[in-house]
Amino acid sequence: MFSYPPERLERVATRVLCLGNPLLADDAFGAAVAAALPGCVPPEVEVVRSEVTGFGLLDDLLNTGRLIVVDTVQTETAEPGTVYCVREGDLRTAPGPSPHYVGLFEMLALARTLRLPAPQEVVILAVEAADCITVGGAMHPAVRAAVPLIVGQVASIVGEELGSVPPTPSWRSAA
Amino acid sequence: MAEAERSTAQAAWQEGAAKANAAYVRRRITIDPITRLEGHGKVEIFLDDQGQVERAYFQVPELRGFEKFAQGRPAEEMPQITSRICGVCPTAHHMASTKALDALFQVTPPPAARKIRELVYSTFMVEDHALHFYFLGGPDFVVGPQAPAAERNVLGVIARVGVEVGQRVIAMRRRLRELITLAGGKVIHPVLGLPGGVAKRLTPEDQARFREVAADAVEFAKFTLGIFDQVVLKNTDYVNLILSDAFTHRTYYMGLVDDRNHVNFYDGQIRVVTPDGGEWAKFPAADYLQYVAEHVEPWSYVKFCYLKPLGWKGFVDGPESGIYCVAPLARLNVADGMATPLAQEAYAQFYATLGGKPVHHTLANHWARVVELLYAAERLKELADDAEITDPHVRTLPTATPREGIGVVEAPRGTLFHHYQTDERGVIQKANLIVATQNNSARIAMSVEKAAKGVLSGREITEPLLNMVEMAFRAYDPCHGCATHSLPGSMPLLVRLRDQQGNVLGLLRRDLDGSLHRE
Repeated sequence: MFSYPPERLERVATRVLCLGNPLLADDAFGAAVAAALPGCVPPEVEVVRSEVTGFGLLDDLLNTGRLIVVDTVQTETAEPGTVYCVREGDLRTAPGPSPHYVGLFEMLALARTLRLPAPQEVVILAVEAADCITVGGAMHPAVRAAVPLIVGQVASIVGEELGSVPPTPSWRSAA
Repeated sequence: MAEAERSTAQAAWQEGAAKANAAYVRRRITIDPITRLEGHGKVEIFLDDQGQVERAYFQVPELRGFEKFAQGRPAEEMPQITSRICGVCPTAHHMASTKALDALFQVTPPPAARKIRELVYSTFMVEDHALHFYFLGGPDFVVGPQAPAAERNVLGVIARVGVEVGQRVIAMRRRLRELITLAGGKVIHPVLGLPGGVAKRLTPEDQARFREVAADAVEFAKFTLGIFDQVVLKNTDYVNLILSDAFTHRTYYMGLVDDRNHVNFYDGQIRVVTPDGGEWAKFPAADYLQYVAEHVEPWSYVKFCYLKPLGWKGFVDGPESGIYCVAPLARLNVADGMATPLAQEAYAQFYATLGGKPVHHTLANHWARVVELLYAAERLKELADDAEITDPHVRTLPTATPREGIGVVEAPRGTLFHHYQTDERGVIQKANLIVATQNNSARIAMSVEKAAKGVLSGREITEPLLNMVEMAFRAYDPCHGCATHSLPGSMPLLVRLRDQQGNVLGLLRRDLDGSLHRE
């Protein structure tokens, strides 16, 4: 009775979910990648841009076999522009100080627990950001320079068969 | 935690403490979660040389440069711009901004437009409050504050309430979001609000869809109140925790009320009550600068709001202090009741159980939120049943020269102000936003300090104790829209022992299983 409605079950094989707020300096990275992707990936690959966090992410995670997430990170252990490629299982959720601290991985876990149509495979492509809190700020040059690198990575991954992304838990390289 | 790990953690702590005491009079603990992006909250705890908590500070990052970004932009873009700044509750910013434009262009929306706005806003409040109760506040009460850290999350809540209840919440959320999309154009960033009205009328077919969902939303809210009663109110430990002194402050309260002094999320006057519950002020949004001022502390970039006529007296509660509180508990405290019958019943039970008005227990916010959920659902139904809401006249065109406009709504987390000043062309010269977390920041800081003094002083730092400190501000749901994750090998929580120059003297990390490790 309360399961997800059948009319929302049309699935796509691959969705590229580009996260980030284009108004917030380096957080515009996802939007920049989303703008550059058309023409670089097959038309059947769905490219979605999202600025939301928390439960708002849930809708963007469902009804796709493979989810490629493009986002920024701030580990503060690498130079801005450093890129990361990790699989979902490589990351661990940390308890945040506020209930607002729910995001991608909590939503994936929620979807699976509630038996919603969650993706079978999740790959995260991220860039180390310098500043994600200045409204109207410009992207750091090194972060901007990572846009074509990530676009190339997305194109490479969508050219692979489902499940054939290299099993290396993580890699990173300076942009 | 294994005994060996406990010993290691204790040894690390004692070693750091010894070094600190040898060189400095005071030392500092930092509770600093590693975050994904967009900033994060941080707790700084200063200990004296006896290991007693001397001060504790809660720090919240604020977005920088908003005022500069807004300058030079047409005011009518603000409902879209501000809704994009916050990824958590864009509908609240959209509505506060739209109301500021009404004031700026000196236009009154037609009755149908006003009702459509409140209809959409009520839909948003039902969704937000439901999600908060089940999935965000739930870890503390449904799962329990003493439960292992790894279980205090969304999945832990579902394990307690059952998959079917979780599916019911998500299904209701989806239907509510479809309604917002129907009326607002887009669910994430509505394009509904215009100065003087709304962009689209509601057709009879649209109204029928709202009516169907609204009726179910009321049943859902009643069901939720029943869950709260079973899980929380029937648990003596939880009730005692709500009533405990560590989570209690006698402050002023602020919130919107209608002309009968009932809670209203969308419109009305701002009412402030004293710590004894008496009305202290009631004023229109346009007068907010006469009542609200901001205090700055050297240790934080957060501005601490206080009641201007009372002045800043420091981080203290009581009738002499200007510190006030917003959010669900505050809204109930400032009101004389709820405008809808079922919510009024729940409101009466709330105060009968907690000892009368006002309630000063911070953790009662969770219950107040469920009372408000019921009100939002009932109000949604009232508006959906209103024949006037399909009136095609939904816009009053502005003709006056713009100059200054202030708009206010009750966001899920409390009173939200938008204030714009423009030139005669309507181009923004100055913009100011006061969000719920800013209104609450002084009281949050007090809550953290009180909890830290109550649970940490002179004791070994353990994960449950840290969680008790975190609970002190979690009840306010402070708004930092970011998710928290760690890369392999990284630690989700650090407790740093520092000297006053910032040198790290000792370091503990809390892992996902709640164990503490030496760095």
